Amino acid sequence: MKQITIILSIVIGLMGVSQLDAQSSKDRDQFEVQVDGLGCPFCAYGLEKKFKEFKGIKDIAIDIETGDFSFTYPAAKELTMEAVVAQVVKAGYTPNDAKITRANGTVETNKEAEKEVISEVTTSKLYVNGMCGMCKARIEKATTAVSGVASAVWDIDTKMLTVSYDHQLTSEKDIEKAAAGVGHDTNSTRATDDSYDNLHPCCKYERAN
Amino acid sequence: MRTFIYTIVAAVTIISCTDKAAVAQDWQFEKVIDLDGINPIGIAMDGNDIFLSDGDHNRIVKVAEDGSILFEMEGFERPMHIDFGEADFEITDKVTTSLLKERALFVPEYGRDSIAVIRDHKRDYLVLQDSLDAPAAISIFKNEIAIADFYPNRVLYYNGKEWISIGKEGKELGQLYYPTDVQITKSHIYIADAYNHRAQVFDKTGKAIAIIGADLKINAATGIFVTDEEVFLTDFENGRILIFDMKYQLKQIIETNIDKPTDVYVQDGFMYITNYRKGQLIKYALKDIENEQS
Repeated sequence: MKQITIILSIVIGLMGVSQLDAQSSKDRDQFEVQVDGLGCPFCAYGLEKKFKEFKGIKDIAIDIETGDFSFTYPAAKELTMEAVVAQVVKAGYTPNDAKITRANGTVETNKEAEKEVISEVTTSKLYVNGMCGMCKARIEKATTAVSGVASAVWDIDTKMLTVSYDHQLTSEKDIEKAAAGVGHDTNSTRATDDSYDNLHPCCKYERAN
Repeated sequence: MRTFIYTIVAAVTIISCTDKAAVAQDWQFEKVIDLDGINPIGIAMDGNDIFLSDGDHNRIVKVAEDGSILFEMEGFERPMHIDFGEADFEITDKVTTSLLKERALFVPEYGRDSIAVIRDHKRDYLVLQDSLDAPAAISIFKNEIAIADFYPNRVLYYNGKEWISIGKEGKELGQLYYPTDVQITKSHIYIADAYNHRAQVFDKTGKAIAIIGADLKINAATGIFVTDEEVFLTDFENGRILIFDMKYQLKQIIETNIDKPTDVYVQDGFMYITNYRKGQLIKYALKDIENEQS
């Protein structure tokens, strides 16, 4: 009889714990952000450290290989997608896809609207100065965002950006401006000192005079 | 006659030994030690025991020569470049200063902005007047302490009497850009000036006296180790260890099996390198150059 009582107590106790867990997960939003170029542990842990400014953050997980970064946050605080993306940028990184699964089950993403269809594709190779995987993510994101650009791929060794675009919608000059706008010098457009200074330490390439 | 023969034998032995000492040596690859589930950042040795900080898994592990885990201590927040020492300094009331004279492991916790002190599986924290922001390394030399303070771009140095701050953000001599490792020697303080892609040498008043490796296209100098004869510097992104003499001239570059190295430790003619990404220790040995070709 004593044994049955003990077993029942354990079962009831476990049920209580699982209910508590379910309750606590219901109260928290789940955030998943894909961050490019988390090359070194100092960078990755720096990102984590920056997010600890959000009081109440928990369950932080970071995969340096894939750049997958996730955490939970109290639903009551209504942390927005914009605030999360801004915090990633503030830490010096480039956020790619981000997803929030709210405690009530709704899902939000930062996916942009479908790009316009490009009929006549021109391909150019442009020199863009940079240093590392984080630079690659930043350069490709900035130049792909230019209206009329279909694709942009930057080579870390040659520092050449291969870009396909509709020449009726944009130009090499616009694309170079976009790269310079995020801190990367090109042959014809130099980034401002401020945007260069804002680059992450990993990304401080040697500038031409 | 017998005396004469002894003399000849002794002379030949001495000549032979002298010749051997003259043979040039370099560092040669010995073996890869796979570490199951460990991503090592820092390495320190206590006798022949190898201690690693496993930043990704928030723990310190002691491993055998084959890489198997002998002991682990969890609950750290991103432990970085560790060191053993017997420094005498202000600590909490949990542990007395005299106890601390026993050898302890010092663990900078990047995510907790603190320095943990481990002794006999017990943990305490170093009490500092100044606050840290992402301490990346610590070095203990007798009663001196140096801490690489990553985000403030400085090294805090305790000379046995007082703390001084070395360096500020910049690229010039004496300025730092995200220091990630430090080592105190008898006469100097060596700093891995990570994102200036070089090392720097300071005297113990905090005056910068040399830059090392600035022209070698290093990409993130994350770890440094100094012996009486050589300075070892990790080149994280390029997967290299650069070895300099004490005039800071490049002697050797080693690359075999090195991938994303974060730290180096040298002892008794052997060098251990932490391959962070692959979860490995790479062992090199100092050998005669002739043997390399045989």
